[in-house]
Amino acid sequence: MSFKYTLEIITIIAILGFCALFLCTNSTMNGPVFAGSDSAGSGLIARLSGIPLENFKPLISQWHPPSGEIESCLFAFQAAVGGLMVGGVFGFWIGQKKKA
Amino acid sequence: MHIMEGFLPWQWCLVWWIVAIPCLMLGIYQLKKILAKDREALPLLGVTGGFIFILSSLKLPSVTGSSSHPTGTGLSTISFGPWITAVVCAIVLLFQSLFLAHGGLSTLGANIVSMGIVGPLVGYSVYRLLRNTPVNIYITVFLVTALADIFTYVTTSLELALAYPAETGGFFSSFILFLGIFAVTQIPLAIVEGVVLALVFKYIIALKPDILIRLNIFSEEKINKARNEQS
Repeated sequence: MSFKYTLEIITIIAILGFCALFLCTNSTMNGPVFAGSDSAGSGLIARLSGIPLENFKPLISQWHPPSGEIESCLFAFQAAVGGLMVGGVFGFWIGQKKKA
Repeated sequence: MHIMEGFLPWQWCLVWWIVAIPCLMLGIYQLKKILAKDREALPLLGVTGGFIFILSSLKLPSVTGSSSHPTGTGLSTISFGPWITAVVCAIVLLFQSLFLAHGGLSTLGANIVSMGIVGPLVGYSVYRLLRNTPVNIYITVFLVTALADIFTYVTTSLELALAYPAETGGFFSSFILFLGIFAVTQIPLAIVEGVVLALVFKYIIALKPDILIRLNIFSEEKINKARNEQS
């Protein structure tokens, strides 16, 4: 039996399973908002400490992206930097292999 | 897993910075040593670091009704160990705290400890345990990646529980509450991340098996066995 594409098949199944789980959660949960777990964690900190969320002040002042769109743009930039690194190296290795 | 700026008392920020700094220094020392010895390690470092950049930028929905992101530290942990991984994570976390307001400079030490040190250390322990056993390379990569991911979030829960023990039940009760938010959300993400990075490792083996052997990441026999299974 050939195992040539076993990992690819397992990866596709895992991604499809993950998507199915999301759709299932979205349709069965009562109003899931899919906000970040970081925000949920901050909410729990406020509850445990008894300090309202708005009273937590930065110890070191911080720049905030002025809008959600700018934030998405910067996250995309981060992913693009990673993509360039991965793509560049894989391309380099493929070129080296062909040359050899 | 980002602890936001201002959400950790300064005493705890200091504690986690004190833990993080020596690990980062060790990572920089190891990085210099590896690159001086073998420049061919640089592209592999680029690929493993690239995956930390990509995966930590993806916010994915999960079963708890909230979203979280994978860490992508598995490949770097296997290839270069936890200390160099800590350096790469520090760069990513610094970018996110400066430009995205995810995490902060005061909490950067705590975030480096969870994503760059403890998660990869747990993954690296699993890798060392399985490296010389007959366990398949891809299963090893999957386990290292998934556990490094989950333990990052377990550590964040621990850091927050230490700083904010519950009024009733104290640290333990608080730890369980934070685990419910961070670690449970992370389980499906960690599984998918493990599978995806195992697939990426397959392509690294196919294209550049020599660097994996030279850096003694896996034995030549194991790498050849994995290559034969692919063809």
